[in-house]
Amino acid sequence: MIRKKKIVKNIIVEIDEKLNQYDNVILFPKKLEQANKTLKAIGLPK
Amino acid sequence: MKLPTYHLKSNYSLMTFEFISKGTKGEIQKIIQFQKTEIYELYNLAFGDKNITTGEINDEIISNNGDLKQILATVISSLNIFTDRYPNYWVYITGSTESRTRLYQIGISIYLYEIEEIYLVWGNINDSWERFIKNKNYNGFLIKRK
Repeated sequence: MIRKKKIVKNIIVEIDEKLNQYDNVILFPKKLEQANKTLKAIGLPK
Repeated sequence: MKLPTYHLKSNYSLMTFEFISKGTKGEIQKIIQFQKTEIYELYNLAFGDKNITTGEINDEIISNNGDLKQILATVISSLNIFTDRYPNYWVYITGSTESRTRLYQIGISIYLYEIEEIYLVWGNINDSWERFIKNKNYNGFLIKRK
């Protein structure tokens, strides 16, 4: 069976080099900590 | 997505996005980050305000700028861009407060038809996942490209 894959088109995003400064920075550490705690407990859907 | 979105800016990795919300309270800089979690190929969508003067980031502030639908549509656009680049990644979405999680739930419900054309969506309830059902309260959401 051939699965069709929907490709999202016409989304324009401007690359701003200033935002590269966040590549190795966690902007919302509390949120990530909470997410890790929840996700480690429940895992992924089976 | 039928609703207009704000102009998005991103970095090369397409992991961080910025846009400006324009509403009743003026212009508010918003920032979105897809954060790598401790689970393989699972990213957390984090979103908040950025103070233009101090650079301080806050995900608990309630802006009430009167443009919620356009903001949600813009966040979904960033999700589309992110998963276009990384189609195998899972994305976890939850609010910093219960009321914000409800807002995301409303957003997913409003655009569910469009979202489900592209994504599989689950809701976290009672510490397990089930396929997302409209008008049901969840603690968080998980999204993956079909």
